[in-house]
Amino acid sequence: MALKSAIRNLRNNPQLLFVRLPNILSFLCIVVGVVWLLLLPLNDYSRQTYISENALLPGQVHAYFTGSEQNIFRGYKKEIQALIQEGPAGLKVATQKYEYTSAGIGYQGENVYGIIHAPRGDATEAIVLVAAWKTADDELNLNGVTLALTLARYFKRWSLWSKDIIFVFPPDSKTGTQAWIDAYHDLHPATVQPLPLKSGALQGALVIEYPFENHFHTLHIVYDGVNGQLPNLDLFNTAVAIAGGQMGIGANLQEMWKHDDSYQDRLKTILRGMTKQGLGYATGAHSSFMPYHIDAITLQPKGEGWEDEMALGRTIESLCRSLNNLLEHLHQSFFFYLLMQSNRFVSIGTYLPSAMLIAGNFTIMAIALWMRTGYYSDSKPGVSAGSDTPKSKSEKPSGTVTEKEVTESKLNGSTVAERVLALPLTLVSGLHLIGLVPLWIFNTIFHQYFTAATYIFVGVDVVLPLILAALLSNGLGISRPIVPQQYLLIKSFALLLLGLSLSTLATLNFSLSFMIGLLCAPLTFITRIQGAAAVRYPISVLGLALLNLLSPPAVLIGVCWYTGVPIETVLTQAAFGWDVWGMWTQVVVWCVWWPAWLIGCVLLGSSMF
Amino acid sequence: MTVYSLFSFLLALAVTLWSSPVSASSDYHEQLFLQPLPQSSLLASFNFRGNTSQQSFDNQHFQYFPRALGQILQHAHTKELHLRFSTGRWDAESWGPRPWNGSKEGGTGVELWAWIDAADDEEAFAKWITLTQSLSGLFCASLNFVDSTRTTRPVVSFEPTGDHPKVDGLHLLHGTLPGEVVCTENLTPFLKLLPCKGKAGISTLFDGHKLFDAAWQSMSVDMRPICPSDGDCIVQIEQTVDMVLDIERSKRPRSNPIPRPVPNEQLLCDTSKPYNSHDTCYPLEKASGNAWSLQEVFGRTLNGVCPLADSDEQQSVCLRVPHERQVFHSEGAVEQKKADGFTRCFSLSSSQPFDLSIPEQAVQTEVALEEPVLHAERTIVGHGQERGGMRIIFGNPSKTTDVDFILFESLPWYLRPYIHTLQATITGPDGVPREVPASELVTGTFYRPAIDRERGTQLELALSVPAASTVTLTYDFEKAILRYNEYPPDANRGFNVAPAVIRILNAPDSAPIYIRSTSLLLPLPTPDFSMPYNVIILTSTVIALAFGTVFNILVRRVVSVDEAAALGAQSLKGRILGKLVAIRDRIKKKETKVE
Repeated sequence: MALKSAIRNLRNNPQLLFVRLPNILSFLCIVVGVVWLLLLPLNDYSRQTYISENALLPGQVHAYFTGSEQNIFRGYKKEIQALIQEGPAGLKVATQKYEYTSAGIGYQGENVYGIIHAPRGDATEAIVLVAAWKTADDELNLNGVTLALTLARYFKRWSLWSKDIIFVFPPDSKTGTQAWIDAYHDLHPATVQPLPLKSGALQGALVIEYPFENHFHTLHIVYDGVNGQLPNLDLFNTAVAIAGGQMGIGANLQEMWKHDDSYQDRLKTILRGMTKQGLGYATGAHSSFMPYHIDAITLQPKGEGWEDEMALGRTIESLCRSLNNLLEHLHQSFFFYLLMQSNRFVSIGTYLPSAMLIAGNFTIMAIALWMRTGYYSDSKPGVSAGSDTPKSKSEKPSGTVTEKEVTESKLNGSTVAERVLALPLTLVSGLHLIGLVPLWIFNTIFHQYFTAATYIFVGVDVVLPLILAALLSNGLGISRPIVPQQYLLIKSFALLLLGLSLSTLATLNFSLSFMIGLLCAPLTFITRIQGAAAVRYPISVLGLALLNLLSPPAVLIGVCWYTGVPIETVLTQAAFGWDVWGMWTQVVVWCVWWPAWLIGCVLLGSSMF
Repeated sequence: MTVYSLFSFLLALAVTLWSSPVSASSDYHEQLFLQPLPQSSLLASFNFRGNTSQQSFDNQHFQYFPRALGQILQHAHTKELHLRFSTGRWDAESWGPRPWNGSKEGGTGVELWAWIDAADDEEAFAKWITLTQSLSGLFCASLNFVDSTRTTRPVVSFEPTGDHPKVDGLHLLHGTLPGEVVCTENLTPFLKLLPCKGKAGISTLFDGHKLFDAAWQSMSVDMRPICPSDGDCIVQIEQTVDMVLDIERSKRPRSNPIPRPVPNEQLLCDTSKPYNSHDTCYPLEKASGNAWSLQEVFGRTLNGVCPLADSDEQQSVCLRVPHERQVFHSEGAVEQKKADGFTRCFSLSSSQPFDLSIPEQAVQTEVALEEPVLHAERTIVGHGQERGGMRIIFGNPSKTTDVDFILFESLPWYLRPYIHTLQATITGPDGVPREVPASELVTGTFYRPAIDRERGTQLELALSVPAASTVTLTYDFEKAILRYNEYPPDANRGFNVAPAVIRILNAPDSAPIYIRSTSLLLPLPTPDFSMPYNVIILTSTVIALAFGTVFNILVRRVVSVDEAAALGAQSLKGRILGKLVAIRDRIKKKETKVE
């Protein structure tokens, strides 16, 4: 009975149902979404990693890469130091030239690669070993390249390979592998040469980075791909299992050098992973493989210790042997996960509700607004005639809704209002299309103008909503003045699109969806302020100022100031990502976030006119 | 200095065999060719050939022709048969042209083609199925999986090599199993077909461990009738095993097969390097030829000669190294050097075991390898679950002559090619690629489109590649979505696509040259197979819950308390009444039925 009466109360109280309840629900969604994420590092919500693909058998083989191989390693190293590129015999060697241009900067280089044909193999499958001349941090990868060459000579002796092994030596970690893998699938642009030599379907890729001379302590495993794609968790687990279990080398991830398995460290690891995933840039030479559904990781020795290059070589040998065991493409384990420690993770089923709740808050508000526009909020006496709810703060009838209409609806006994859709729909879709302009600008202009363009855009973001709001409030000269219902509809459509985009995005790139969702959270609660001018003006000006702090360019400037990275570097990288890696973070920023933010500002700005 | 390669030698031999009238109607030959190849490889080519007169074959009087195979062929009305088992790939870049010009090798896995005598296509196919099923049992291979989807009827790619009195009723059928792994279980039945069954003669060298450790290996069985113009027809069976062994690897003893790093003092270092020291070594590759012996490479010695082989032709082992190279052989064998400066053959003693030993030696002359007539590479390009593309590159290394050839592709039905997307790019000697219409290079097309789950695509293209040019052919295809029960257990591995067969037409008189591309792996859209399980569990739960509730609602009567009391009181009376009514109804029904 209590429930029944509660529902009856709700039904008789549209103010609560359509105005207050959605606000409460949306707010709850956001809070629960954030709290959910914060719960993930706890033991009850995360899982111990495990190897799902039995064929991998990590660390089950003895690695023989020792002894006199080290002499050859030293020999090759001296040769490479003398910059004579001469690989061990028996490999099919080929080169590939490429050239990219992005933001007015040209990138060119030449990939050298060699293939060990699997004895008895039939060129249907292959594993890739990459050693770039320059690491992701732009250091000379001397030991890495030498190690790859020595391993190439060593692997040639074994007859157990069931897959071809391809050794790729790109000149750098940013462009080389991308050019190579694009050409491998024949999807390369015209500035990239096709590959003269090919093998079969690629099953996995390992990147070796060893740019310093001293012995190392731990192995840092980098796994983030372009657009937040991740390699199969089995590959990461295998690397951890081999490094830790077989070789006795600890494994780190996400630059967490001191991880004491505490809640704070776990959360920090998750958040670092989410930042990289959300920004969606390539974190190393391995990242370019991910869009082609080739699982890849980078192995970086770190720290000061007593493990030498041969230990890294044995780790790679053992990893190659594991990959060689694979009968099928890696598919058993997770492709969507958040790692918090080298042996703990949360899978998509556990973490997804977090971003979904945040995306859902926009949808809830959008639906509530849509329903609300179907009623005349100011004809409440007609709706709830005889109800016992006290209308303590009954809203003043809006001037634009004529008394005649109200009386008509009263007379008909109907509470349904006709929605005027043309203007809201045009405005919302138009503003989303305008998002293509900054997208084009920020991916096309020369890199030296990026900083200026960002500051100009901050200015545009201040002015543009005010102009739009003024135009809307005073009629566009062609149509009748806008009615309050249309403001609600504008907001409804904008939030609906935002909710839709973010919930879809959450399944592809959880972190990006989560971050944009949080940054957009205020938009749910922004509305056109009504009331006396003395109250309206200060509040809307303050609101606009706060909103402008959350605009995409303002956030960029803020983050750059906080991290100390120049804006130009970030935007050059972003444009490079767009042009070369096929990164679509900017599309989300300019075609999802920015339009939604702009509409929020327009609504707030319209209270001033 | 004129240099004939081993392959021309083999070819010349084959041609002589074809053309020369065979004297004896029933005889048996066996021969082994050995040739060291670059990069410490050794080509070993075994050939066994037996003849039986057609008459005795028809009367089921088998002497050198294996009875097991002969009866199958007679039962399936097969007039000519070619069966191939292959693993690995021939590295034409290092090893030159293929042995027997590629006519005795197949694509990766198993390949079978045969001319069957039948009245019409259906009958031919029925006999073909009989043949594949029987051969499957005979050779322990999955040949029974050659069904209609894997069977094609090539039009121009293959021609009968035997002499057939009537060609009209012969149907050529061709089937491949690219995913078949060839191993010892196929070797044993293969050896059983030989007259000496691996007990004597060159076939004693076959050791499964060594044979299947080879970098490339091909076994073939060919049966064909030969009818000389003067004389009776004979039926010939020819069995061949070709393999390329890695000498280094084969020499490793069975007791220590792991290629551990060698001790420091055994490292072969480039001492001219300034940094060369006790712990730094730039490795040298061996300049001189490797030392090897039959014993080391094959793990056993050659056990005499097969007594059934022709007595007048004793030179059953031939080796192709420069004459200046030292070769030691065991006692009892006689060495004979041929005039070409590279070939030497050995006449074996029938009783003593035979071994060859070649020491390490720096030599001046090398056996020159011919350039292959055509390079071909076929790969799948593109990415994604829905579409892909095929790219085939043909390189003509010759500076002067064009190459005409036929490309034969048999594609599985789930790979649906779009032939209208066939495009050609030609890169001339200047190295500038330019697109040309495919019709400019393709002089003839035979295309038989696939029917889902019934037959695969058959595509035969007659092509021409100009001198010193590279032609790239591409076409797009769509990937079909299979039914869930059509996926193999290792669905995520991908699906094998049979190698393309290339038949080079340049020399019309001599034996044809065949090249086969590598097989391909086609990833198809694959469902998550744990998902159906989850769905079944979930639906079962939902149905159980729904059924329970609905059943409950249907059966349970909701009554008030006083009604319930009345019901309880009435129960006995009600029951009796109910029984009565039931009996009455039955009688009434009967009455109505009677009426």
